[in-house]
Amino acid sequence: MASDTLNGPTNLKVRELLKEVQLDYSPSFTKLVDDTVSAIKDAIDRIPQDLQVTADVAPGFVRDIGADKVEFTFKKPISVEIGGSYSMRCIAKPDVNVDVFVRMPKEMFHEKDYLNHRYHAKRFLYLCIIKRYLKLSSVAEKVEWSTFQNESRKPILVVHPAMRIAEAPIVLVRIIPTATSVFNVAKLNMKRNNIRALNQGAVLQPTPKYNSSILEDLFLEDNAEFVRRTFLGWNELGEALILLKVWARQRSSIYTHDCLSGFLISVIMVYLASKSGGNRIKKSMNTMQIFRVMMDFIAASKLWETGLFFHPQGEWNTSKEFCPRGECICILVVHMSPHEVNMWSHHPEDVVEGDVAQQRHRRCTERRSSLQSFPVIICDEFAGFNLTFRMTKGGFLELRNEAALTLSGIDKCRDGGFDEVFMTKVDFPAKYDYCIRLNLKGSMEVNALGFCLDDECWRSYEQKVLSLMHQGLNDRAKVIRVIWRNTPLGCNLEDGLSMFDREPLLIGISVNTLENAFRFVDIGPNAENKNEALKFRKFWGDKAELRRFKDGTIAESTVWECKQWERHLIIKRISEHVLMRHLSLSQDSITTIVDQLDFSLRYGNEDPLSFSASLLEAFEVLSKHLRLLDDIPLTVSSVQPLDPGFLSQPKLPILYYGIDLQGYVYVIIFATVILDITAFRFTSVFPPKPHPLALEKGVKQRFQSPTSSCIQSLEVMIQLEGSGNWPMGDVAIEKTKSAFLLKIGQSLQSNWGMICNATEDDVVVFTSGYAFRLKILHEKGLTLTKWPMGSNQVKRVPSTDKILYMRSQHASMINGLQGRYPIYGPVVRLAKRWVAAHLLSTSLGEEAIELLVAYLFLKPLPFHAPSSRITGFLRFLRLLSEYDWAFSALVVDINGDLTLNDEKEVNGNFISSRKAYEENMQNTSPAMFLATAYDRVSEAWTRSSPTSSELRRLAAYAKSSANLLAKLNLEDQLDLYRWECLFRTPLSNYNAIVLLHRDRLPYPQHLLFPSEVNQGMHVVRGKPSKKFHPFLLPGDMKGSLEELKHKLMVNFDPLRCFVGDIEASIILKKSFSSFEYRTVCHCSEPWRGELILSSLHLQKEFPNKFKVWYDSLGGDAIGLTWEQSGSKKRGREEIAEEEDLFNVLKSVGEVGKGFVRSIYLPKAPKLK
Amino acid sequence: MLTEAKPTGLKKIKKKDKPTETVPDTNTNELKEEKKRNKSLGQKRGVTVMGSRSKATVVGQHDIEAFKSDGALSEKNKRKLLRKMKRKRDRMNVSEIGKVDVLHDYVEYALDEQNGEHTHGKKEDGKLRKKGRRTEKTKKAGIDKVNVLRKKVEDDSKEENGKSRKARRSKKGHLSSKKEEKALEKSEPAQDEVYEISSGDEDCSRGMRKWITEYHQSRPGLEILQHRIDDFMTAYEEQEEQARKEQEALAAEGGWTVVVHHKGRKKTTDTESGIAVGSVAQAAVLEREAKKKSKTKDVGVDFYRFQKREAQRNEIMALQSKFEQDKKRIQQLRAARKFRPY
Repeated sequence: MASDTLNGPTNLKVRELLKEVQLDYSPSFTKLVDDTVSAIKDAIDRIPQDLQVTADVAPGFVRDIGADKVEFTFKKPISVEIGGSYSMRCIAKPDVNVDVFVRMPKEMFHEKDYLNHRYHAKRFLYLCIIKRYLKLSSVAEKVEWSTFQNESRKPILVVHPAMRIAEAPIVLVRIIPTATSVFNVAKLNMKRNNIRALNQGAVLQPTPKYNSSILEDLFLEDNAEFVRRTFLGWNELGEALILLKVWARQRSSIYTHDCLSGFLISVIMVYLASKSGGNRIKKSMNTMQIFRVMMDFIAASKLWETGLFFHPQGEWNTSKEFCPRGECICILVVHMSPHEVNMWSHHPEDVVEGDVAQQRHRRCTERRSSLQSFPVIICDEFAGFNLTFRMTKGGFLELRNEAALTLSGIDKCRDGGFDEVFMTKVDFPAKYDYCIRLNLKGSMEVNALGFCLDDECWRSYEQKVLSLMHQGLNDRAKVIRVIWRNTPLGCNLEDGLSMFDREPLLIGISVNTLENAFRFVDIGPNAENKNEALKFRKFWGDKAELRRFKDGTIAESTVWECKQWERHLIIKRISEHVLMRHLSLSQDSITTIVDQLDFSLRYGNEDPLSFSASLLEAFEVLSKHLRLLDDIPLTVSSVQPLDPGFLSQPKLPILYYGIDLQGYVYVIIFATVILDITAFRFTSVFPPKPHPLALEKGVKQRFQSPTSSCIQSLEVMIQLEGSGNWPMGDVAIEKTKSAFLLKIGQSLQSNWGMICNATEDDVVVFTSGYAFRLKILHEKGLTLTKWPMGSNQVKRVPSTDKILYMRSQHASMINGLQGRYPIYGPVVRLAKRWVAAHLLSTSLGEEAIELLVAYLFLKPLPFHAPSSRITGFLRFLRLLSEYDWAFSALVVDINGDLTLNDEKEVNGNFISSRKAYEENMQNTSPAMFLATAYDRVSEAWTRSSPTSSELRRLAAYAKSSANLLAKLNLEDQLDLYRWECLFRTPLSNYNAIVLLHRDRLPYPQHLLFPSEVNQGMHVVRGKPSKKFHPFLLPGDMKGSLEELKHKLMVNFDPLRCFVGDIEASIILKKSFSSFEYRTVCHCSEPWRGELILSSLHLQKEFPNKFKVWYDSLGGDAIGLTWEQSGSKKRGREEIAEEEDLFNVLKSVGEVGKGFVRSIYLPKAPKLK
Repeated sequence: MLTEAKPTGLKKIKKKDKPTETVPDTNTNELKEEKKRNKSLGQKRGVTVMGSRSKATVVGQHDIEAFKSDGALSEKNKRKLLRKMKRKRDRMNVSEIGKVDVLHDYVEYALDEQNGEHTHGKKEDGKLRKKGRRTEKTKKAGIDKVNVLRKKVEDDSKEENGKSRKARRSKKGHLSSKKEEKALEKSEPAQDEVYEISSGDEDCSRGMRKWITEYHQSRPGLEILQHRIDDFMTAYEEQEEQARKEQEALAAEGGWTVVVHHKGRKKTTDTESGIAVGSVAQAAVLEREAKKKSKTKDVGVDFYRFQKREAQRNEIMALQSKFEQDKKRIQQLRAARKFRPY
């Protein structure tokens, strides 16, 4: 209890995790496994003895691995025993594999069968026979081929047992043949050549991997038993192993054939727990401590440079004298079982009679040097071969990186990094910035030299690709990982190995720094250095050019010219060039995941980001003019671009109330939802283009066709010098501000010819093709808060100044972040596009999205900060779907200025908000608690939306999109259509769908996909209005320039007007009792009353549950949902309800006259 | 009705027969009328093609209603008929004679159908009667059942009655005004029936036209806006002035005024005279305040032993409560299945 309290929730969580993944060794389950294994044993026993086996059983396999003499007579296995993780009770669900070691008899092998793959062939044939008989028996439902650690020449059998218990997980039995004490170990020395075909002339090339592969089988059982002995009865060690397996399994880049396996993890643990490893793991440690020791050892130990060697145990301690470095592996003479003695006596150098210690020492150093060809060494206790002979250098480095990241996660993250370490999937698409997929199906080059030499052809190909990529990208990439998993499950291995190239080869690239990655020019060797230059030319082919550089040098170089917004494609171009040139691949077989989603951010062929330079220029001009204004009472003291639209609020328009002279009369102003775009910090999906009509007077303009008739404004915040003359009331303050802005506008217009377009609430100024909307921040207003009317007194509405202040804080912070991480902008744009495309604009405001993405960059663990848009986007989706929103606040600390106390305060705020939630279950606000330095109570962006149900919808959408995206990364999909699916929202998820006239949208070019509904019931059809057109018609162009300018509409968005009108009717009902509503009817225009009536009508049937989902970026579909009222209703009422439904939809259609194209009910109601 | 004595099966049938018989009656009567009408229409139609077309559709609608009145028709038959009728309507456009004939056919067909249904109903009644008999055998309990059954039958017949009446009414409605017809359609919209909305260009109360007019109305020009604001401000100032005067008057009357304590001295402006003292950034003020607070707090937190003890105890309490919270949270997480790593 005490330790639990101290360690916080981490230990509790780890306990829960273990409960989830540990296998329950209940008597019924162990009986099932025992029965299955003994049934398998029986089936094998039934195989007739002395069966003659020849290559005909599996001619393809024997041919492909190149074995020559393979005939043998079948003999019963010496033993069939359960081993591996099941026997250690360290299985981590959901893969429940029971390893069964089948020890092949020595009699079936000749003495020299270790040569030329004969052993492998016989091993396979032996399994073939077993498979044949297992299929005949009733034990197995299915028997399949798999491979041992992805090594094609060592297949194993996977048995799906027919016996099953309902509550237990599905068990797979893996039959792994072993060859204990079959060959003379000395013959399999790392320096010996055992594949004769490999020899060129007289030189015998050593075959260390081949030899290790056989040695592994010779000592498989011994090693497994050795490991098991250590784990036996040591509960914490076993649990730690399970945790490590979970950890590794979440990291698909290290749990692979060329890196880590469950067995290797346990071997490292045994090493650390033994004297050889310095007893780093002690009996007194708890599970998490052991885990930490392991991570620490993997990440930081220097022992890896020399390798891990097991010392002989017991009386052989003295060997240290002779092996001062303590890496002696002279175990052979230690536990001398009879067969071992027998084995070693064959060794020519094995002069046992001499000075034993001396002898051992000699052998020790010798072996160490013989293992030096491997990048990582874990020497086994028995034969001194390398257990990690499959591990590559790249794989090992990746392992160390991951371990280091995990350690920092444990130290820095919430709850000891539990989520980051165990729960977050660190797979290829999320981890690497660029993924390249090579489709090598049927490629002749892979196995040109034969399938299996010392190494298998697929492994050599991996290395080849890796070295090419390294050479091609050099310092652009930090890490390059190449993995080709090629065990197809359920294939027919008897026919040979040619199907092993079916799966695609994956290349993962982590970018070094963006400056490096996006560099245009690679400078090669100096021209005078002929040899190097020639090599360079040979590598790059026609891409290499001789160039003279600024400093006068003339050097070979490669130039990757492209437009500014296409720089992320440089890596793609380089890698494609290199791979195509050197591997003779076609372009179709190389898929680089980088630009597949760019279609959603483009206007036609270009990215609108290209206008950002001119935008900044325009802003500079404006701010200069503003500062120099001298005909207004107070001078402008600061100008700040702030453009995030106040978008989190459209659901609940701010209700202003005014005090009239006659008394209290509510004046309702539906705050025009600000339509700004975050252009200044490159995070807006569509930064504005300069508009030809928004230029100053007297500047000549050219019209491109078509010219848009609408323009979006960009918000600019102004602060004035201090003054005491400001009025006190908040309405009066706002009015004074407007008066100031009008003055400023007039002054700009008369002095500089900037046209000013003003309403009572905003003043917009046109300059150099952009529209800037001016806002004034008044400090005094910060302290004022407003109380909305109605019963909902708990919700505080911050004053306009407060909102403005927070926005300015937000804008400057995000600006800083964008400076630090240039890739931040594109990720935000994709994220915003995604949210909007799924009609979730109401739920998640632009600022909230920006903060969420910022979090990915600020707290990237267990990754590094993303360096490509797709990776960032995928992580955004995962964050949205996996973050524990209900129980934790998300603190986005952009400048790192929150202290520990501040975080405590935030947490306190969070807890109190959740407590309020517990008291009354309906009201979860905010469901998404986003705290920042400027907003510690999460009232700025997520106060009222998303609600918990909206958040659930968001998470569900994000989850399915993330899964699809990850799948698209890894699997071959030829068509681009699947990528589009990420942004195509299913329209069947709404109760009703409103489709709009596409040519009446203000920016039809922003529309991603035109929506159509084919099923369901067509309820309403509407005609387009002639009053509005998104482009200036030729007829309009005839008038004078002034008239034309008048026609340019600022921030006009019928979609928003429409949504506003629908929601207004709902909100009116919500916030007014019948009395108040009557007042409203009196004071506003008659149509509003009508609207309210219809909404009242609506509310009767769907009280407060009517919801509008739309795409604020210009989609042409709006979804409507409501919660079905009580399901058990009698027929007649149902009819009445349906009738009402139709009426409601009709009135919705009427509200959007001239804009609504049609309304559908996707699920047509049942007709009586 | 419930009070009625034990009913016999015969009675039931009779009761049921009555209304059902009336239905075909009315139908045939009306159909005869219709035929006549159609004939006359046909004559008219010979004169103008336009008229005929419009009439044809009207007849079609009429058909639907006639057919709707047939409450007993099964869904399947309905659909079949609809299809047939559609075909027939098409043909009607071609030739008037054919139309009349077909209509006649249809009417007969419908009648047949209804009769069939009727006989079916009879059969069902027979069954009911049988059941009734059986239940009679079981005496007391049986009586209740019969009552229930009888009630059901009666209800059925009533409904049928109602429907036929409705049909009749609707026909009248059709003849007199179109409005009611529309209402009827609304209650049961057919698959291809779509409510049409105009472009709204003539109506500025709703839709696109309204938004555009609002847009333009909100931009009357800088001068007008300036005037409005000025008006507001003068009104506001007057109001403020008045309020102040009232207060002063109240004070002058010798009454009491409530003295409000203004906390702090950090006034950046003097509200009365309006002298600017200079604007101070909000953040800076807060920071200064926070600093002051922390300074004062620093002294004497662990000065006395009891303070230390208390602090320790508080810490332990906080830890314990945190532990409890964590446990609770984990339970909730477990419920949400948050511990499945993959």
